[in-house]
Amino acid sequence: MTGHPALALRGIEKSFGGAQALAGASLVVERGTVHGLVGQNGAGKSTLIKVLAGIHAPDAGSIEIDGKNEAHLSPHHVETLGIHMIHQDRLLPPTLTVAEALLLGNEPRFARTPFINRRQLERQAAEALWNAFQVALPVRALIRDLATAEQQIVQITRALVNKPKILVLDEPTAALVHREAEMLFETIERLKSDGLTVLYISHYLSEIERLCDQVTVLRNGRDVARVSPKTTSTAEIVSLMIDRDVDSCFPARPPRRGEPLIQTDGLGNSPYFSDVTFTLRKGEIVGVTGLVGSGAKALAGTLFGLSKADAGTVLLKGRPLAAPTPAAAVARRIGLVPEDRRRHGISLDLSVRENATLPALPDFTRRGLIRAAREKNAVAGLVARLGIKTSGPEALLRTLSGGNQQKVVLSKWLIHQSELIILDEPTVGVDVGAKVDIYREISRLADEGAGVLMISSDLLELTGLADRVLVFHRGRLVADLHTAGLDQDMLLALITTGAAPKESNAPKEHHALAV
Amino acid sequence: MPSPSDRGNAARLLRSGAYGAFAIVFLWFAIVAPGFLRFGNLTDVVQQSAILGLLALGMTLVMIAGGGNVISGGIDLSLAANLGLTAAIYARLAQDGANGLTAIAAALGAGLLVGAVNAVAVVRLRIVPLLATLAVSKIVNGLEFVLTKNSVVTATSPIQDWLSGSGLFGIPEMACGLVLIAVLVWLVVHATSLGLRLHAVGAHPEAARAAGLSVPAMVAGSYVASGLLGSLAGIFSAALVSGSSPGSGNYLLPVVVAAFLGVTFSRRQVPTIGGTILAVLFIGLLANGFQLVNISTDWIDGVEGVLILFLVGWTTLSQKESLDA
Amino acid sequence: MKSFHRYGLPFTLAVLFAMFASISPTFPTLANLHSLLMNHVALLSLIALAMTLVVAAGGIDLSVGTAVDMAGFAFIASLANGLPALLAILFGLIAALGVGLFNAVLVAGIRVPPFLATLGTLFIGHSVQQLSTGGGVPIYLIAGPPRPIFSEVDMARPWLSLAAIAVVLVVLDFSVFGRRIVAEGIAPAVARFSGLSVRRDIGLVMLGSTLLTGIAGIALSSGVHSYSPLSGNAYLMDAIGATFLGTTFDANRRANVIGTILGVLLLSTVKNGLLLAGVSFYWQQVANGTLIFTVLAISFSTKGKEATALSGH
Repeated sequence: MTGHPALALRGIEKSFGGAQALAGASLVVERGTVHGLVGQNGAGKSTLIKVLAGIHAPDAGSIEIDGKNEAHLSPHHVETLGIHMIHQDRLLPPTLTVAEALLLGNEPRFARTPFINRRQLERQAAEALWNAFQVALPVRALIRDLATAEQQIVQITRALVNKPKILVLDEPTAALVHREAEMLFETIERLKSDGLTVLYISHYLSEIERLCDQVTVLRNGRDVARVSPKTTSTAEIVSLMIDRDVDSCFPARPPRRGEPLIQTDGLGNSPYFSDVTFTLRKGEIVGVTGLVGSGAKALAGTLFGLSKADAGTVLLKGRPLAAPTPAAAVARRIGLVPEDRRRHGISLDLSVRENATLPALPDFTRRGLIRAAREKNAVAGLVARLGIKTSGPEALLRTLSGGNQQKVVLSKWLIHQSELIILDEPTVGVDVGAKVDIYREISRLADEGAGVLMISSDLLELTGLADRVLVFHRGRLVADLHTAGLDQDMLLALITTGAAPKESNAPKEHHALAV
Repeated sequence: MPSPSDRGNAARLLRSGAYGAFAIVFLWFAIVAPGFLRFGNLTDVVQQSAILGLLALGMTLVMIAGGGNVISGGIDLSLAANLGLTAAIYARLAQDGANGLTAIAAALGAGLLVGAVNAVAVVRLRIVPLLATLAVSKIVNGLEFVLTKNSVVTATSPIQDWLSGSGLFGIPEMACGLVLIAVLVWLVVHATSLGLRLHAVGAHPEAARAAGLSVPAMVAGSYVASGLLGSLAGIFSAALVSGSSPGSGNYLLPVVVAAFLGVTFSRRQVPTIGGTILAVLFIGLLANGFQLVNISTDWIDGVEGVLILFLVGWTTLSQKESLDA
Repeated sequence: MKSFHRYGLPFTLAVLFAMFASISPTFPTLANLHSLLMNHVALLSLIALAMTLVVAAGGIDLSVGTAVDMAGFAFIASLANGLPALLAILFGLIAALGVGLFNAVLVAGIRVPPFLATLGTLFIGHSVQQLSTGGGVPIYLIAGPPRPIFSEVDMARPWLSLAAIAVVLVVLDFSVFGRRIVAEGIAPAVARFSGLSVRRDIGLVMLGSTLLTGIAGIALSSGVHSYSPLSGNAYLMDAIGATFLGTTFDANRRANVIGTILGVLLLSTVKNGLLLAGVSFYWQQVANGTLIFTVLAISFSTKGKEATALSGH
């Protein structure tokens, strides 16, 4: 590897007010490589990226891009240098067509007129999508009518259209299913061989392992290691990130069986799933998993009242559960930690206290008025118990990190004293440290007698935390297994094919194994 | 949450409902109203709609660039006051014997100034558009009041006569004017890059910024353009009533209705130039038809209200929640 | 400096009060202030409080004027037709609640966005009033037999307004209903996923707020012994203005009672002050608008820069 590194940030320091986000962090990315950046939230990843993007000016340190020292970066300038960022938020105008969104700012026009050449626009868009992902999305479709994953594909393609020299990807596969993630990886590998340099930020260490030539680990505002995933194991990388022994991630759980909490019999909700029969007991953690469209998620929605079942019965503590609305479900002490935290879980513009007590307001009401002291105590208790890092219960949620926001979501149902808690992908987008806290809480919940139903696509999480796992495939419940000693390959096969493998001949599916 | 295809269906349904309503009303009047289909009558409708049309174009531009939310998104409540002021300026100048072109220039200048003030208030001072344009409209109304002392200012000038004439090939100049300006604005908004970027800025300002677009410049520009259109409407109005008269505030709500109704005519369910013009014509046809059938004008507001409720209600009722399985 | 924006409103109010007091000796007199509070402030407060509730719940109500007018119409028309005073009041309130019910059905039942729903109501209300009065003819009860109810309502007016302020304050800031509607206004989806009945609550707000505008309508027509069609609309813009001016008073910019009342006081003070200061009648509105603009400018431009969502969280 001759010549300058594509990127060299050295000794970057950055403080905000009193808090020091970066205390001498360095990141050196060689040209034509895929370089991973990992670290917990709070380690300084996002700040470092923002410094690179020209959004923040560093207090100290140097930035070299392609060998040239660059001071005074701005977002526009950074782009002219060939660095393109793809953020987690989908930055696509919802009412533009795919073609328009792809080429916004670079619209092909009729010569020397300001008029857009629509046919060219659509042609170029289709070409770009095919080159990048080998997909043929309808270029006239509106962005808001696309599925999340498709929007992600458009977003990434858009960055590629500008022929960047360095591509920075921030959690790009969060919304992608396996097949699409694969396409992305193949695209990245192809672009790498064409000379593209990639900076890849992700919580999914399996992806880091697969794609990256080098990985920089950030911890507490500093880079603590620069290793190659080929020679360093995932477990080692994780311990570098959290400075803690990984195996203690999942709390040990003695088997505990209480009375039945939920009993379904032939439960169906067309077209999502049919004929689902299972029992969940108090104190149990039951995982639910399956591919997108398998019915796993819909089961959660049905139990929580987001959609009505049209067949079969559900008993909650022996009595029929009629939950036509979430309000009815909540009244029966059922709680839901939703997948889309920002849209359904918490409001960024409400305070910690307001968010946390929302489902349990009746418990804090006397004669129509809120019992303020009681509420404050309850919230303070939860903040302490879950270790929520915040300036106080009146702080608006937008000032909290993702992991802490998720803890607030959890505390909603703890304060509500839900008897059945449904968790939908509870640790997606949550950093390792917070994950451990959340696992501990979930386990404790179950120990205290609640029943936990956990939708997850994280196999480690399922086998490590749940007592049993229900596997859905194409709308049917195909397996109800104890997780003790469960073979991961068999689980994977059940998820992807609906049947246990006869021989372990199935190709190694690269499912997102996260830590 | 409605799935993408549900939303697409609802949008199609609403749009066909809007066109359907238009067609039904047109047909009904064609059948029961004497003289409705007469060429002269239809061009009259366009002429009568010219003023509202120009105002609605301005409102549409601001809504496109400002995004959908009513309270924090783009809206220009100062358009009606703008019309009043510029008509008053024109009338006063014409009355005092000023050259027609000078009067027009002054009126247009005033409109641009109003637009500029709105732009500064929204972009620089970051006042929410609903409040900013509301405050500006109070000021502008006050200025109109000062000029006209709340009375009619009569003025005639060759330009006014020309504008309010019944024009070439039987099509009134004002109708031509509306069509011409509408086509021009349509071209800019829907066929040029500038228009696409304006749309992007309103739909997702962050994405637009990330794409290198200057959100403040475009939003500011939309308010200035709206101010210009408002003053054009003022000049048209001066031509129509031979001067200026108090009561421009009556245009405020119809402009809002027209712009929002216009959204239902568009494929993407966003403010569009075509949709707005259709909505304005719709309102114009209604008023015209009522007149021909001798239904009191007292009914018009109510019918417009029912119409908008019906169309909007229809779409929200047909949206269903779907589980993401 | 961080919460300076909160004090723009009361600060401006104080400054203007002092200014007008020094310009015009009549301004700070008891008689003038009394009249100011009894008339404009009392009425506008009621209407602005109704608006505050709806705005806090995440909507906006363009038909407040309509409810005011409907109440006034029913009240005066009943009296004109010889019905006993208490019945007339009842009918007035029912008429306003009717408008509220209509809005509630549209917003909660059919899920029409409040802006468009109340816009429709406003337009329909226009027609209803025009048609019911044969083209907009007012009903005058100035001449004819004396009606004690008018002066009774006039005397009750300030107490009604004060009571309304107290009640809405308690509801919005301390009651569970208030907590629910604020959460539903800010994050309806999250509220729903937390077990709140969002639609039912917004319907109740749209219905309940017309109780306040109904009282205002009866008080308004009592004061002038007549009903004039569309007279309530004059209050719409001021109610919106007061409510949103009031949001500058809250740390999180939420609609709130104290802020709204400060906004009402500001708007009324400006109107009255300009009048008494001998500002030319024609320039009053310009000055009025400019002052409001200034308050908004101070409040909005001193607000801190909001974090954009491009954070790594």
